[in-house]
Amino acid sequence: MTYKWVLLVVALLAQLVAATAQASQEENRLMAVFLGRFASYIELPDRASKLFVITVIDENPFGSLLDDLYAGKVIGGKPVVIRYATKVEEVGQSDLLFITLVNPRARQDAIDYGAKHSILTVSTATGFAERGGIIQLDFLQQHTRIKINHAAALKSNIRIGAPLLSLASVIRGDAQ
Amino acid sequence: MKFSNLSIRLKLVVLLGASAAIALFISAVMSLVLTFVSVRDESLRHLQQTSDIAKDNLTATLAFRDNASAARMLGSLSTNRRILAAVIDDDDSLRFSEYVSPASAATQTRGYLAQVAALARAQRGQLFQQREGLASITWNYMFTVSPIVFDGKAIGTLTILSDNVELKDRLSTYIVMQLLFSVLTLVIIVLISIRLQRVFTTPIFRIIEVIREISQTKNYAVSVDTVQNDEFKALYVHFNDMIAEVRDRDATLSRLATTDPLTGLANRRHAMEVMQFMVSRARRKQESFGLVMLDIDHFKGVNDQYGHPVGDAVLKVVASILTHTAREIDLVARIGGEEFLVLCDKSDLQATHLIAERIRAAVELTDIAYGDEKSLRVTISGGVYAAVPETEILDLYLSRADSALYRAKEADRNKIVNWEKT
Repeated sequence: MTYKWVLLVVALLAQLVAATAQASQEENRLMAVFLGRFASYIELPDRASKLFVITVIDENPFGSLLDDLYAGKVIGGKPVVIRYATKVEEVGQSDLLFITLVNPRARQDAIDYGAKHSILTVSTATGFAERGGIIQLDFLQQHTRIKINHAAALKSNIRIGAPLLSLASVIRGDAQ
Repeated sequence: MKFSNLSIRLKLVVLLGASAAIALFISAVMSLVLTFVSVRDESLRHLQQTSDIAKDNLTATLAFRDNASAARMLGSLSTNRRILAAVIDDDDSLRFSEYVSPASAATQTRGYLAQVAALARAQRGQLFQQREGLASITWNYMFTVSPIVFDGKAIGTLTILSDNVELKDRLSTYIVMQLLFSVLTLVIIVLISIRLQRVFTTPIFRIIEVIREISQTKNYAVSVDTVQNDEFKALYVHFNDMIAEVRDRDATLSRLATTDPLTGLANRRHAMEVMQFMVSRARRKQESFGLVMLDIDHFKGVNDQYGHPVGDAVLKVVASILTHTAREIDLVARIGGEEFLVLCDKSDLQATHLIAERIRAAVELTDIAYGDEKSLRVTISGGVYAAVPETEILDLYLSRADSALYRAKEADRNKIVNWEKT
């Protein structure tokens, strides 16, 4: 009898894990899509680079998704290039920085780097926007919530389009 | 009542009214169709504009899968009372967000949405590949389906469904106004027709009136005239020409019926008619009436000696003398071979005798030319009768004049003898 209960619990847990994994996979796919779409609603300062560089710093949750999704794509008239970095020093000249750093200090360094080099910083980390990150993405029960630190964007000389602002929770005060 | 039996007046009014009614009907139908097309296009254009404005903001909601914002933005369409529903479907034709007006019949509206969705699925290629929207109107609703394009790719569609109340109201108002206008115009045209028909009927009735007058009075001296310079003018001219021809022919016939062809004097029949009239009037007014019966002396001898052409010439000359010697009010007639009659209206015996004597003297003194510068003279005898008629029996007076003539002949001719009662 006890054995059956254990089996049942294990089966339920397995199902839950599978469902969670599937949800997480869907969230990652949406995030990957959103990164490119954010670019359509922002205006970056002019750069000499002829590429639009998306850099993922630290852990890459997308696998090959980003490479597949943006292969041959163009954003703002520039071909998209996907780069992966493990630390801030490797970021170099980027247009969009997706930050998955778990360490708060390292994450803050990445935010500061982005602010200094007018890079659109995006993350799903809690409190990211409040700490000077520009766009924070939250997935709650398959619903997307976007939080934008408008002041941080302006400080980085990045303009964000009204349609995107109209969707987002906007932090207008001087963060950081 | 058959149309052919109507009067010309009524026919013209009916024809003008019917023509105007047909023209108005065609005009109204054309106008209604054009108005319907115009109002329909305008309504669809307004709906498309609403869709385009909403789409700008809704694109971001679909791009970032923000249902809550999409629902909020779609909800803002509630300010337009005509909009029944608005829905966003993603590129998998799955419903992303939806707004159904609380004022609409939800079940019915969802039925309409299902119809539009089916149409959108059928036209998926147009929406997603060509990125061209759909817009149409039905009896119950109108709709637009617009592709939501992000970065050059259709990522979903925005469908807006609206009712047709405004369109129907405008068309109803237009139809009512058109009907009122048509009826008013028709009334005005009929009133004008009643006035205008006179332009056509007055000349016709004028001719009818003249024909009736001629028919009653036999007076062919009348004519019709018009200030118009159209076909009626031509009709009048031809009618007047025809009447003139009838008048001339009538005069010719009358002359032939009343005139002696050789001398041009009145013939016996006409003389009797005039005498009857004179006697009747003289008797009625108790006035004296005179008549002279004349006969050329030895006329048979003239014919025998000079031939009939000379005899005819003699008759013509004597007739001429009679015409010029008698008074204008007298009637001179040839009533036999060489016999003449002069009817002297309002003349007593003395006056009648004087006329007869003047004629006799003139004849006696007249050289009648014939052949090559030859001439002859004849004499004439006459019997005179004059009195206030006591009867209208003409033969009585003729026989009395004839009796006097006989006595003149008996008295060696070239004499005028009055009738005396024996």
